[in-house]
Amino acid sequence: MSTNGLRTRHGKRLAASAAGIAAVALTLAACGSGDSGIGGGGGDESPAAAEECPCEIRFAWWGSDSRHESTQKIIEAFEAENPDITVVPDFTDWDGYWDKLATSVAAGDTPDVITQEERYISDYSTKNVLADLGTLEIDTSKVDDGVLAGGQIDGTQYGIPTGINAYAIVADPEIFADAGVELPDDTTWTWEDYVTTANAVSEGAGEGTWGTQDYGFNEAGLSVMARQRGEVLFTPEGELGVSAETVADFFQVSLDLLEGGGQPDAARTVEYQAAGPEGSLLGTNQGAMGAWWTNQLGALSEASGHDLELLRMPGESAGERTGTYYKPAMFYSVSADTAYPQASAKFVDFMLNSQEAADIMLTDRGLPANTEVREAILDGLSPTDQKVADFMAEIEGEIVDNPPVPPHGSAELADIMERVNTEVLFDRITPEEAATQFIEEVNAATAG
Amino acid sequence: MSVIQEISRSKQNVSPRRKGDGRWALFFLAPWFVGLALITAGPMGASLYLSFTDYDLLSPAQWVGLENYTRMFDDPRFLNSLAVTFTYVFVSVPLQLAAALGLALLLDKGMRGLALYRSVYYLPSLLGGSVAIAILWRQIFGADGLVNQVLALFGVQGQGWVSHPDYALGTLMALNVWTFGAPMVIFLAGLRQIPQMYYEAASIDGASRFRQFRSITLPLLTPIIFFNLVLQLIEAFQSFTRAFVVSGGNGGPSDSTLLYTLYLYLKGFGSLDMGYASAMAWFLLLIIGGMTVVNFLASKYWVFYDD
Repeated sequence: MSTNGLRTRHGKRLAASAAGIAAVALTLAACGSGDSGIGGGGGDESPAAAEECPCEIRFAWWGSDSRHESTQKIIEAFEAENPDITVVPDFTDWDGYWDKLATSVAAGDTPDVITQEERYISDYSTKNVLADLGTLEIDTSKVDDGVLAGGQIDGTQYGIPTGINAYAIVADPEIFADAGVELPDDTTWTWEDYVTTANAVSEGAGEGTWGTQDYGFNEAGLSVMARQRGEVLFTPEGELGVSAETVADFFQVSLDLLEGGGQPDAARTVEYQAAGPEGSLLGTNQGAMGAWWTNQLGALSEASGHDLELLRMPGESAGERTGTYYKPAMFYSVSADTAYPQASAKFVDFMLNSQEAADIMLTDRGLPANTEVREAILDGLSPTDQKVADFMAEIEGEIVDNPPVPPHGSAELADIMERVNTEVLFDRITPEEAATQFIEEVNAATAG
Repeated sequence: MSVIQEISRSKQNVSPRRKGDGRWALFFLAPWFVGLALITAGPMGASLYLSFTDYDLLSPAQWVGLENYTRMFDDPRFLNSLAVTFTYVFVSVPLQLAAALGLALLLDKGMRGLALYRSVYYLPSLLGGSVAIAILWRQIFGADGLVNQVLALFGVQGQGWVSHPDYALGTLMALNVWTFGAPMVIFLAGLRQIPQMYYEAASIDGASRFRQFRSITLPLLTPIIFFNLVLQLIEAFQSFTRAFVVSGGNGGPSDSTLLYTLYLYLKGFGSLDMGYASAMAWFLLLIIGGMTVVNFLASKYWVFYDD
């Protein structure tokens, strides 16, 4: 910022006009921040009927450094087998992934092979971004039908599950022991048991250690509870299928825990929620339980240094049916616009079915969806991953079915949960009001 | 009349060289104009068009007329983000300018090590917009953060400030106030412009320090205050990074830090509602533009130009 213009009396006029110019410039800059570049996504160049390779395909995924390294190795193995196909890696972390994918699709520069996730796959498939994988040569015979259905929308296979996770309670036996509380029997425990157990741990372990971390930020818990009551979070038609009563009960559990001391106060709870697995109650040895996806056990165990256990969700035996399900960790999808559908399909097939790829990937994209390669990698797994595999095998017989792909707009679900749950925790709304708000907001988000 | 024309004609006559300069000036300005056209004006035009469409990035834009603009006022989150933003701007900017002016007055005393202090106080302005500071802020105002540790020394049990809906916006405003260095440096420069003789005359007349400040410093500084006010208001309206990082990207807890630009981003890239987000961007332009016009009109009544 130049101050030379202020030197003379006349210069003060200059200062004013400088303010004016700066004002205009900055306001103009304001609208530069929200724009998006014009143009439709639906490019209409039809894929070449007969592919000419050597060719180059781009594979987009999100993840941590370890995933980037292992994926790079898988690409090398694939290229060694298919010397005429080059796979160009295109990766970011989770936060930037969806911004980047949406903008590259808008720019007509869609990656050939796309990693998808259940909250986004409806959006992308209904916008004709993703190819019908049923028409491509990908062998899905080794994937369980129920799991495979997780990537189907209206009967069309838009994504192939990479692997599976389940939602479970992770428990720290050491903290249970310190608190003098016995580890609950997860085959029989109810939601009331969950609350009393957590409250008892807080009581027994003393200041600064809590029974459990609040579960209300993740809709997976609500989905499990709804399924236990014979409801569903979303119907196959994409409608909200959960009753207001269930939603209210779901939030009531958090309030009971707050009141009984089983979980930290509201402000702390919000902080722990933002801190990820590493900064969580379990990760920092400040809590005995928490609801997590099974693939997070590794990160939690590493952060805590303790030997953590996986427990079934509460209420599995007490309800109408069990609520737990296999969630596809992510999906492999192929762009509808790719110039090389066959090469892309070949690469997806390699990641899904090749033992070589599975040996490198292990459980990084969930416990492999291909049951044959899953069996074959078990011996090579770390003790933690072994535990996950055992747990998944244990609950297999109890799973009734897997929920359908959530509808278009469900990407906003996480934000809605977060808002509503925070309001409940800070006593600004009752669980009943929370239920009304949740249902209204989800309906609005999925209507458009 | 004719004399004036004569003069102006003769002025034109004596400036053939200047014409040449103009052409060269255009030549050297060309890269800037190209940048303006391609990088700023192009996308701006596009966003104006998109603001009248339903556009989700993935499928072609559909013309919907003014719907995006009318929809805003039925959107409780939008109205909330407006309220949050106005609170943020109109509380933190005056405080920030007061802090800047106060420090500038202290530093203007010509103390030893002035350059050092000036740099130290300016530093937050350089860092304030950064992600690192926002993350640090989260730590400082966390449940077990620095603020609460200090409070604990006095036996006060602190809050988790950033994660409490009643206080989270306060931490953001504190961060904005803390970046008072830029306006402070401008105030310092302004203070140097005030002729010393006014103060000498005033002291001879027996005016107190406070009286001198009120009757000499403040009036002569009003153009600078005005300049800073306009600039900082606009900047505050556009705050994004700190709210994004401190709230963990969603304007939480329960939308208490949902600044306008953050909601705009969430609508655009979270919900892929680019038409709506573009409309929001243009509405923000109207707000800031309107406010700046009001500011300039009001300045007639309080800004004093010493000529």
